[in-house]
Amino acid sequence: MISKATLFSFLFLIASNVIEAQIHCGLVEITPNTSVNALMTFDNFTSYNGGMIINSVAKIRIKVEDQAIPDPLCSWSLIMTIDNNPGGGTPANEWEELNQYGSGLGTNPPIDVLEIKVRNSCTTSPIDGVFQTFNNHGDIIDIIAPMLPITPAGSCGLNVNGPGSFLSNYDEFNFDIDIRVKPNFSYNPGIYQLNIRFHLEENP
Amino acid sequence: MKKLSYLCGALLILGSASSLKAQLIDEKDVTVTMDLQPVLQLDMTTPDQIEFVFDEINEYYAGITKYGATVLRVSSTVSWDLYAVGRSTGTNGPEFWDQQIEYGNNNPNAIPDLPLSLLELRQAQPNNGAAAAAGLFADYSQAFSPATAPSAGNSLYVNGGTNTPPTTNDKYIGGHAGTSGVPGQDFLPGGSYLTQTGVTSDYFYVIDYRILPGLPAIFPNAADADGATFEDLITVNGAGAYAEPGVYTMYVQYILLEDQ
Repeated sequence: MISKATLFSFLFLIASNVIEAQIHCGLVEITPNTSVNALMTFDNFTSYNGGMIINSVAKIRIKVEDQAIPDPLCSWSLIMTIDNNPGGGTPANEWEELNQYGSGLGTNPPIDVLEIKVRNSCTTSPIDGVFQTFNNHGDIIDIIAPMLPITPAGSCGLNVNGPGSFLSNYDEFNFDIDIRVKPNFSYNPGIYQLNIRFHLEENP
Repeated sequence: MKKLSYLCGALLILGSASSLKAQLIDEKDVTVTMDLQPVLQLDMTTPDQIEFVFDEINEYYAGITKYGATVLRVSSTVSWDLYAVGRSTGTNGPEFWDQQIEYGNNNPNAIPDLPLSLLELRQAQPNNGAAAAAGLFADYSQAFSPATAPSAGNSLYVNGGTNTPPTTNDKYIGGHAGTSGVPGQDFLPGGSYLTQTGVTSDYFYVIDYRILPGLPAIFPNAADADGATFEDLITVNGAGAYAEPGVYTMYVQYILLEDQ
């Protein structure tokens, strides 16, 4: 027979493990966080051969605030993941096919045809200014990696991840996103889609 | 009652714990839609009209060749086939040249129905996408035969006056019939002459034309689509036949299409 004291001790033990991941920040937000849709139409040889680039297809503006009583452990991470809707039958390494033109005897474009560049004025991300590619659905690329030591806002250095806002520290808390696609002549013509998800999270 | 209290207490503790564990998160999505529209482009440099005037005996014997009369440049974003087909308006029938005017009398052996296949083509660049071809001649890349040795290797593909694609037994300029999906078998991959280097290219074809009437003028190199049967005037019309003097016209249609 388990006593009352034993039972509550056990439950507190479980809860205490979970409580370790408590909130350190008062607010973690991307502004605005509405979806962006970008359409790239390839209908001539210049675009097929030279590729197409959309600069600043999206701006990731970050606001991370302390709690009313500031917690020195408040910090954040920003990652991006790729989603090709595998539930719809898309192979893990290809764009999701929405429609196909012609006979479809070739191959569908792989995910790594899409290149993504992240940049801000303070080059706070280690991948700043360099086009990155994903290979498979669910791949993750760190913009500001999780669990890094806290670098406070205002330092205009690498991996700034302390509390702050694009309103007060625009060069550190705003990320411009550029995308580039260079299909060449290898893939089935058609309409294809990919979703890039930017995920902002406070560090536990 | 006691047990119920313990249960409520336990749920309260777990509930509060789970509410505490959530970290603050926000997300934003960028959806990229790519519309790859197929582009097939055939650029052709050629005179509006190519004239073959036979007014000397040696021209009947040796024929007239128009070197480099047509230049074809291909740009395609999809795998492709390219072929030529002989056509006319059908005045003399769907597979014959149109006789615009006749010279001389109407001798019964003077044949006005000249087969479209008497026109010979030669492509400077061999067809590198025709491994699956099953006929005698996969393309028009063989040299024009000597006047004394009739050959069907360069006779123009004709199919009842239509522009229907050739079969596996017939001639293509680039690619061939079939959808194996294996490069080199029956198609040439997407690409453009604009990005090619070197002196030859699968996207660039120089076409020579020849008409060899012979004497008598029977057009000994005319042959059916697969090159297995000659269509010269004697084979078709019997001994003594010859081409009726006159002015004749026809046209060559070049068709670039997605591999199929």
